[in-house]
Amino acid sequence: MKILAIVENTFKEAIRDRILLVLLVIGFIAIGSAKIIKPLALGEEAKIIKDLGLATITLTAVLTTILIGGKLVYKEVEKRTIYIMLAKPVTRYQFIIGKYLGLVLVIFFTITIMTGGYYLMLSLTNTEATLSLLLPILMTFFEVLIIIALALFFSSIATPITASLITFVVYFISNFTRDLKALAQISPSVVVKALANFFYYLLPNLANFNIRNLVIHNAIINPATILLSILYALIYSALVLCFAALIFQRKDF
Amino acid sequence: MELAIKTENLCKHYYTGFFTKKIRALDNLNLEVKVGEIFGFLGPNGAGKTTTIKILLGLTKPSSGKALVLEATPTSAKTRRRIGFLPEAPYFYDHLTAEEFLSFCAQLQGLKNQKIAIDSILTVVGLTTARKVQLRHFSRGMLQRIGIAQALLADPELVILDEPMGGLDPIGRKEIRDVIIGLKEQGKTIFFSTHILSDVEMLCSRVGILINGKLITVGVLNEILNESFENIEVTIKGLKPDAIAQFQRNAWKTYIAEDKVTFYVSQEEEAYFLLAKAQACGGKLVSFLPRRKTLEEHFIREVAKESKK
Repeated sequence: MKILAIVENTFKEAIRDRILLVLLVIGFIAIGSAKIIKPLALGEEAKIIKDLGLATITLTAVLTTILIGGKLVYKEVEKRTIYIMLAKPVTRYQFIIGKYLGLVLVIFFTITIMTGGYYLMLSLTNTEATLSLLLPILMTFFEVLIIIALALFFSSIATPITASLITFVVYFISNFTRDLKALAQISPSVVVKALANFFYYLLPNLANFNIRNLVIHNAIINPATILLSILYALIYSALVLCFAALIFQRKDF
Repeated sequence: MELAIKTENLCKHYYTGFFTKKIRALDNLNLEVKVGEIFGFLGPNGAGKTTTIKILLGLTKPSSGKALVLEATPTSAKTRRRIGFLPEAPYFYDHLTAEEFLSFCAQLQGLKNQKIAIDSILTVVGLTTARKVQLRHFSRGMLQRIGIAQALLADPELVILDEPMGGLDPIGRKEIRDVIIGLKEQGKTIFFSTHILSDVEMLCSRVGILINGKLITVGVLNEILNESFENIEVTIKGLKPDAIAQFQRNAWKTYIAEDKVTFYVSQEEEAYFLLAKAQACGGKLVSFLPRRKTLEEHFIREVAKESKK
């Protein structure tokens, strides 16, 4: 009940925030631009329209997470609303979980709306709108679950701008963790090797969640891979949340 | 004696700056607040009042010592269910309406009859007509009232108010004072910190003065002020100028207005002696006033004494 109240409040706060509205408008414009670039696609219209839409959904969800998630906890501390909340019979774990699930709900809302716009655009451009296109969107959702946990973690230890920046950098590097592994293998330097290995094992492997090209090119996708990625997202997020809660538990306000 | 708040050798220090300089916010604070009393917690800025309050709410952990609230540890959620708290210069979720905000607080408190509780508390703080208004459109006084409302929503046994009168106009202060008096009549314990000493004199049964993290004075307000007896003012009329000149030597200050003369003397015996002599010279007593220090004077003197140390 208490967690639900925090979830509801976080959701209300985010959807009444202008940032979300601005990101949604930009996202819709990006999806709508498929209609303009269609004549330039030279026979690859369907693929380009599908890919552009899916990439836009991912980018909007990630940006929403980074910009809103980065100030999620810090804002409560800075504006001292946290005093009101934690002076009530609410545990700090409930607070962290409530904030996390609140942002998950915001992202679910954002992705659902964007998906609606995406399918509308597919229909307006007479592009085949198969249900299989929902699979990469689902994977984006699970990918973002990890980023939300990271944003929340950084938000509990840094200012909004710093937290957003670090989350973005981590998101960016996490899409290239395989390159880190390769770097560790080829580098002659022991330090570089150790650092590359450290970050390879520490950072989430977000490239696993990008199956857009596979779906667009109708490649066969192993369901076990999908399920493993989902499980990975849930476990990784849970671990990051535990660390965030531990830090939060020790914090003085 | 049942205690609502008890602290034992409570200390809190922070480390700041690059060289981690140690700052002592609280220094062996021993404080007892009885159930059912209004306790005024005074001190200049940076004295450690808010730090104490944060420890009493489990928001900050003490460096050493112990704090008990309603005979339990404040870090327990069960204890906090019995406490209502209004922070200093409160900021609330301005995207919510007054009703939504109180509903959110009611859910956090785990209240069952939320609607009844919200309707009732909105009436108490006089915000019934503003229930659908977003908090971003509230004035300072209205925000303070909604802050009081959320603190009292779950009918707490102990109410902790950090600067409840801060930024309020005289009418707003009177309204908050009336709410506090109403709470006292219901048998609640009220612990509040403030800078507005006239409110403390009007409301508090006991006060504590905290300076540089140390509790300098604590006790019943009347006793503290009686201890700080200052002088006696004896006003007499009908004295001739030569008699006035003679008595002036016995007083450390004299004030003459029309046919009345006020003599300020330090000792009670001197005052009675002067009165007897004045009456013998044909003077008539207008008033005989032992004058004690106001809380403000006492407070300023204590702060000055501490800052000299």
